[in-house]
Amino acid sequence: MSRRENDFELPLFELRARSETADGSTRSEVRWLLTGRGRLQIMSVLFAALFLVIGGRLVHVMLLRQAAEPAVATGQAEPRASERADLVDRNGILLATNLASASLHADAQAIDDPVGAARALVRVLPDLDEDAVRRKLASNKRFVWIKRNLTPRELHGVNVLGIPGLGFEHRQRRVYPLGSLAAHVTGYVDVDNNGIAGIEKSRDDLLTQGRDETLRLTLDARLQHALRDELLAAMERFRAKGAGGVVLDALSGEVLALSSLPDFDPNRAGEASQLALFNQVTLGVYELGSVFKIFNTAMGLDSGVVKLRDRYDATRPIRVARFTIRDDHPKRRWLSVPEIFKYSSNIGSAKLALDVGTAGQRDFMDRLGMLRAAPIELPEVGTPLSPEPWREINTMTVAFGHGLAVSPLQVASGVAAIINGGVLHPPTLIRRDGPRPEGTRVVSARTSEIMRRLMRLVVRDGTGKQASIPGYLIGGKTGTAEKVGGRGYNRRALLSSFVAVFPMTAPRYVVFVLLDEPRGNDATHGFASAGWTAAPTAGRIIARMAPIVGIPVLDEEDRQIRRAMHIGPKDGGTRLASY
Amino acid sequence: MSLGGHTRNAEKATLGSKLLDVNWGLVLLLASVAAIGFAMLYSAANGSVSPWASRQMIRFGVGLVAMLVIALVDIRVWLRQAYAIYAVALVLLIAVEVMGVTGMGARRWVDLGAFQLQPSEVMKIALVLALARYFHGIGHEEIGRPLLLIPPLVMVAAPVFLVLRQPDLGTALLIAAVAAVLFFQAGVRWWKFALVALATVIVVPFAWRFGLHDYQRDRVLTFLVPESDPLGAGYHILQSKIALGSGGVFGRGFMQGTQSHLSFLPEQQTDFIFTMLAEELGLLGCLVLVGLYLAILAYGFAISLRARNQFGRLVAIGVTTTFILYVFINIAMVTGLIPVVGVPLPLVSYGGTAMVTLLVGFGLLIGVFVHRDVPIPRRPDQLGA
Repeated sequence: MSRRENDFELPLFELRARSETADGSTRSEVRWLLTGRGRLQIMSVLFAALFLVIGGRLVHVMLLRQAAEPAVATGQAEPRASERADLVDRNGILLATNLASASLHADAQAIDDPVGAARALVRVLPDLDEDAVRRKLASNKRFVWIKRNLTPRELHGVNVLGIPGLGFEHRQRRVYPLGSLAAHVTGYVDVDNNGIAGIEKSRDDLLTQGRDETLRLTLDARLQHALRDELLAAMERFRAKGAGGVVLDALSGEVLALSSLPDFDPNRAGEASQLALFNQVTLGVYELGSVFKIFNTAMGLDSGVVKLRDRYDATRPIRVARFTIRDDHPKRRWLSVPEIFKYSSNIGSAKLALDVGTAGQRDFMDRLGMLRAAPIELPEVGTPLSPEPWREINTMTVAFGHGLAVSPLQVASGVAAIINGGVLHPPTLIRRDGPRPEGTRVVSARTSEIMRRLMRLVVRDGTGKQASIPGYLIGGKTGTAEKVGGRGYNRRALLSSFVAVFPMTAPRYVVFVLLDEPRGNDATHGFASAGWTAAPTAGRIIARMAPIVGIPVLDEEDRQIRRAMHIGPKDGGTRLASY
Repeated sequence: MSLGGHTRNAEKATLGSKLLDVNWGLVLLLASVAAIGFAMLYSAANGSVSPWASRQMIRFGVGLVAMLVIALVDIRVWLRQAYAIYAVALVLLIAVEVMGVTGMGARRWVDLGAFQLQPSEVMKIALVLALARYFHGIGHEEIGRPLLLIPPLVMVAAPVFLVLRQPDLGTALLIAAVAAVLFFQAGVRWWKFALVALATVIVVPFAWRFGLHDYQRDRVLTFLVPESDPLGAGYHILQSKIALGSGGVFGRGFMQGTQSHLSFLPEQQTDFIFTMLAEELGLLGCLVLVGLYLAILAYGFAISLRARNQFGRLVAIGVTTTFILYVFINIAMVTGLIPVVGVPLPLVSYGGTAMVTLLVGFGLLIGVFVHRDVPIPRRPDQLGA
């Protein structure tokens, strides 16, 4: 029709056509037509702008932001790529690796017959509870876990059932082929393969980055086994609550073995008790008692204040304020420095420490790393408890290992520094290629030399006799501390420790053994002190270690060796010259 | 008539000539958009016309007939009945307040026995009619008198208040926005809008600080920043953005969308249907749909320009604005530009009341065009009965 063509060809064409013909109408009509037209144009511009924004937003959301947006949601739903680097010991033996595994889940809405399906599933997966499975399958939820980490046989069995609505999640599962052997070192992962303890946690980033590389630890699985085996045996023999041990390479600070008992199977860490998960060697801090006399004696000799031939009056206990310092094996006479060490005299040690002074002792302990948490690559590291303020009475008690609580690893590391020629190497669990960084000198080579002889003396003639293994020239020092319980110390609850070093001619290995509340038996005549419990345990460990690490058996009566271990008259040890 | 040879008297037009005068291009556009909606509902049901696509088609068919009937009814009938319709809608809104049916945590429905009705939808059209009638009756010179603005302000405030009580912030704002557009188009002076805007800017911070309880503030904040609650209020919008992002330029293909077919997007057949379209038909599909909407907008504005009477002009603008604000709010919402408010995508989202309301509105719009040259005196009592 012609009217249609004229009036309304194109919608927007009208804009112009009408304004030109509007002059014939009434004034009011024209006024609001003009106002209306102007304002409608404004609205059109406004809507055009709005939809330009919409168009821009669509392009932005649909094309440009593609990568970023999905990440928000997938980050929640998708577990992290589960591949983790293997952990191996220093000789390449696998400590932790990954196995492909499948986890079974179900879409309960797709299960037609929950009762039958549950019955069939339990036949294939007998460790499941049929009632629980049936409840899950009848729950009407779109996703329920049935069982994690199926074995290949179980996977096959479920597949054969052919129940619709079941599904598998294929992923990698962390396994520790040696079980609990190095549990406290490797640590473990959670169900999503995130490291939550041990090296798995402290090196979580590293393990998840370099997928092809393995992480080589300083542990030696053979030594680790010897240590753990003997500690287990000792725990049983002395009915101890727990035991801990560490073997250090004295020249490098490398941890060759580390065990804290009771321990756990990292493959099933979730079932472990709190006690089993507690690493007594690195996380626990204890007042370890007389082993500190190694540090005290070395400090005295190295400071130059004390000479080996100096004597101290140990005839009667020291009374300071409400404390009394007495000896466990009182000689009630003046003792030379070697005698104080050999007989483990608290009185003598305290007086020796006073000669060095509070500041000197504190400074020495700090240099030995006794006042800071051990720099080990584990998240489970205990911070030492040191006296605050550090008064004279503290100086006296620290001299024989009371009032300063440190971890066994710190003690082992400090002893290694004292006897390796005087250089402290931070303990480490990660094997590094190339030469170790130079350590820091803490005592002179001369002091170190004397300390070797004194420690040998303890095993040969003193409180550590039972650690002796003929041919291996073991040196060491006992430590028997009373555990803090209730008010003050508990005389019945002991922490028996022994730190051993061998071979004394060229010290290479430090072995630290800690027994928590050992009890005496017939063989020890009821004694539970370190000389009767921890010392023989250390001896057994060394007896098993030595052949593995290839330490030759020496003739202890050889003249050269006797000279090397001699503490002669010129040092003032006249009474000792007879051996 | 003053517009010369082009005008003719609609009173004397036959039904047949009126039918010929119906803007069939617009009807075709509406049908195209609705057809896209049918396709998406078919896809949302995983390739089945039931339960959504078939019912939607029936509604569209019924709505289309209603639209044509309304379009052919003399525009002056609607002018005369405008206040009555508004009164009915207001009574229905009050009825919701008193005896409404609660659905999805808000009372918006009233049960009329045979079917449920959402009075706020009815009010959208009724308010447009009522305001158009009111401003039709006021001359261009009189519009400057502030007292004359009080009755229409009350007419807007009453339904906005009732809808807010339901609570339905989105619809309340939509009604207020359309009303503002009508005030603007009626020629209310610029400075009055500036005054209202200024007053809002001043009052809102005080209302925020003193007028709301802590939990109410929390709700508003979650509403404004849904990402802070990704598993609750923010869930929809996050999933929606994922769907949009996976669409790309050409989409995953019809019936191939993962977000909707794997049920990540709950209720994908209603307010969030645009994300499904985006995922399956891509950016191109979205732009085509938006283009169709804009063509409808252009038709609506052109009809309003062409109308010779103020009532028709305002009704055309009101209906078109309501429609296009729906489109804008819905798309802005699913793309995360504005917070999530329950606003459907016109003609595409599944839903009966919204579809019928829109088609009734378009019936009025076409009616305005069919009766574009009918002279209407300013005073209704001068109308022939």
